[in-house]
Amino acid sequence: MKYIPSTLLPSLLALILSISPLVSFADDSLIIYSGRSDKFVKPVIAEFTQQTGIKVTLHTGKSTALLNKLRIEGARTDADLFLSNDAGNLQRGSDWGLFRAMTPSLVAPIDKRYRAADDTWVGLSARARVLVVNTQGPWADKLNSVFDLADPALDSKLGITNSTNGSYIAGVTVYMLAAGKDKTRQWLQGMKANVHGKVFNKHRQIVKAVASGKLQAGLVNHYYIYRHLDKYPDAPIKIVLPDQGKDGMGVAWNVAGIAISKHTAKAALAEKLVAFLTSPTGQKQFAEVNREYPVRTGIAASPVIPAAGSYRVADVPMSALGKQRDATLDLIEEVGMP
Amino acid sequence: MASSFLSFTGPLRAGRRFTSLGGLATTVVLLAAMPLLYVIYNSLQLSANEWLRLWSSRLPELLWNTLSLAVLVAIGCVLLGVSSAWWIARRDFPGRKLATWLMILPLTVPTYVFAHIYTTLLEEDGWLGQLWLGVFGETTPLPDLYNIWGVTLILSLAGFSYVFLLARAALSQSTRSLEEAARIQGASTLEVFWRINLPLLRPAIAAGLAVVVLHVLSDFGAVSMLRFQTFTLSIYLQMSGRFDYQAAAGLSLILVMLSLTFLVLERFFRSRQRYYSARHSRQQPLRRATRLETSLIWLWLGLITLLAFGLPLAWMLSWSWQAWAGNLIDAEFWGYAGNSLMVAVIAATLAVIAAFPVAFYNARKRSVGSQTLLQFSSVGFVLPGPVIALGILSLLLAQLPFLYGGLAALLIALVIRFLPLAVQSQDAALAQLTPSVEQASRSLGAGPLETLWRVILPMIRGGMATAWVLVFIDTLKELPATLILRPTGFDTLPVRIWIEASEEMLELAAPAALMLVIGTLPVLWIMMKNHTVKTESG
Repeated sequence: MKYIPSTLLPSLLALILSISPLVSFADDSLIIYSGRSDKFVKPVIAEFTQQTGIKVTLHTGKSTALLNKLRIEGARTDADLFLSNDAGNLQRGSDWGLFRAMTPSLVAPIDKRYRAADDTWVGLSARARVLVVNTQGPWADKLNSVFDLADPALDSKLGITNSTNGSYIAGVTVYMLAAGKDKTRQWLQGMKANVHGKVFNKHRQIVKAVASGKLQAGLVNHYYIYRHLDKYPDAPIKIVLPDQGKDGMGVAWNVAGIAISKHTAKAALAEKLVAFLTSPTGQKQFAEVNREYPVRTGIAASPVIPAAGSYRVADVPMSALGKQRDATLDLIEEVGMP
Repeated sequence: MASSFLSFTGPLRAGRRFTSLGGLATTVVLLAAMPLLYVIYNSLQLSANEWLRLWSSRLPELLWNTLSLAVLVAIGCVLLGVSSAWWIARRDFPGRKLATWLMILPLTVPTYVFAHIYTTLLEEDGWLGQLWLGVFGETTPLPDLYNIWGVTLILSLAGFSYVFLLARAALSQSTRSLEEAARIQGASTLEVFWRINLPLLRPAIAAGLAVVVLHVLSDFGAVSMLRFQTFTLSIYLQMSGRFDYQAAAGLSLILVMLSLTFLVLERFFRSRQRYYSARHSRQQPLRRATRLETSLIWLWLGLITLLAFGLPLAWMLSWSWQAWAGNLIDAEFWGYAGNSLMVAVIAATLAVIAAFPVAFYNARKRSVGSQTLLQFSSVGFVLPGPVIALGILSLLLAQLPFLYGGLAALLIALVIRFLPLAVQSQDAALAQLTPSVEQASRSLGAGPLETLWRVILPMIRGGMATAWVLVFIDTLKELPATLILRPTGFDTLPVRIWIEASEEMLELAAPAALMLVIGTLPVLWIMMKNHTVKTESG
């Protein structure tokens, strides 16, 4: 054996170490598969840990990829909770039976529209799909509907995200259900003609381009507008809540939410976290950190954003965002949206 | 070669040894082919109708995009790699050694970092954007990277070093007598290059291009950041956007067939061209570059360096400085760096060990069977990372659930992904080893194991080190499989870069990218040292 070189031993050790699941990085803390930005989640989670002493590990990634992982892992999953920025993903997980129902009294304070019918997921914060418009340009007072964005006069003046964006897909689903497939198809075709293949990866960049006057209007989530105004209070942009009035379909909403994994061994702890996130304290934090709408009834949103209830919201249940997602993707692909 | 060996040791013993070695090699390759089985199984679930739909709706565009991208990047890499290699191997100029380094440093920057940096720099308030608007006026639209040219630029900058390395090695090994003869006949430098150098360089260029094209076919980072629909991106979107594994598997199968065809063609092309290695060429002093040449050389190399390494490095340093000043570099950050290093070291070591039987078997046997094994070990390189990851995830959970939960799944995926790199370098090193050395050792009474440790392994040390370094570098940069298979809460530097970059936290993405560069430097140095030794003694 004297010809076995010294490098072999560390290698073997490494092999053994790597094969053994003893090298586990999850202690007895709660584990969240998180599809939201760390910067929105971490402050609230830190507050929770400080109050309860319960540690939380965030396993961050893309919502869809994590849901995929949860599904394949089945009973072997480490995840105690699944946090997503899109109701579509949450509902999809519910349909696949990946989540366990929460105690009814726990979710009762949350508006029924923003949680699963069987309480397998619950919304945490809501966002509105709105228009951002340059106040100094010719379009300052002309846009009233998302469908106006297909107007050929907006040629090269429109900003939209690329068609893999979750908020964008959810928005299209709402319009498809509220206004019909044909109208939505025409709308997409019109926008496609207006943007000439030049779309954005980030909502932030759309708001920036509209503020600079390069573009006149864009389709974004409401909080991006206020985030820009925080930095540049004099920026010539404003929010337009589209499709109001008697015949309007209303603004598309989407929620970010959380679900408890069916296979968690720490259901009680997990419910504690959900209770904290849906409590007035947790809800206020969400409202402040990101200017989103709290989903708990009775908690006010940030005063700078249009008050919930002061405008019309499209009457499409959140569960439809999951069920109709494939149909939406088909439509987007059929039109060939960039 | 094989026949003299057989007659020396006797057919019976040789046969037995080959069987156990062959068994080991077969086992490794079968394990590496596991994800392919998953792909085949899943694509078998597709009905004829679904195949038809895939074919008519997606395939023409994907094929066109992927193939044209591969061709364009190949051209870009040859332009950058061969030109720089020729100057460095054929002229003596001040800073030549530094130039060599500058040409391989881009290997330390992952494609998704390249893509991210260049899109940021080309925004209106980015450095290049400002420069552009300053030079061409406020109204000129900024160049757009979200198209095939942008992706070509990024992937060429990220990949030309492979062509450079192989072309330089071939140039410095090949005899210059042919060139001299041509010159005596009155050929100009350019003519010599076109008619002597380039044809002789063909095998090296082909080998370099093989690596480049395989990187292009399997690239996920750049194409997803720049949203250019290639097979890999489309496969990822099918899986994660629609949860449609079967369509993803169908597309993967086509991609695998495409890549294997390419590999076979490349092998065929290379095997016909083995005439260039003239071992006993005199060591001649390099021609000194004239002053004009020196400035031209540095102008060209400087431009390449600026784009492929200078700008990215400056960007990383500038944002890292902000992170440092803002106290954002905390214990967590060093944890990510530690995780990356640990995974890369273990995966590279395992890959080198696993690759040895395959390479050794082929080196001794050189039969159709061993060649086939060698080809099949490439499967990890041609399957998209996310597909390998999902294949392993499913197989482990279904068959070996006790292995799931730690690092094992990730390490298996990484070894499978980068096994081909280790196999190819070891195969190349072993090809230069004559069996007589081994026979001498055996005839002096050493057992097979002792021969292996004391004779064979020391002689292919350089090839082993190169194999280790290549796997290490790629593992350190690996993103898609790590995203899916990392243990819970276990983040590596690429994963953090990905997360922070998609949240636009540049001051957090930059230090992680910088750490990747710094972490790769020592191993690159090891490889270059080996390289120089080999070329000088050759």
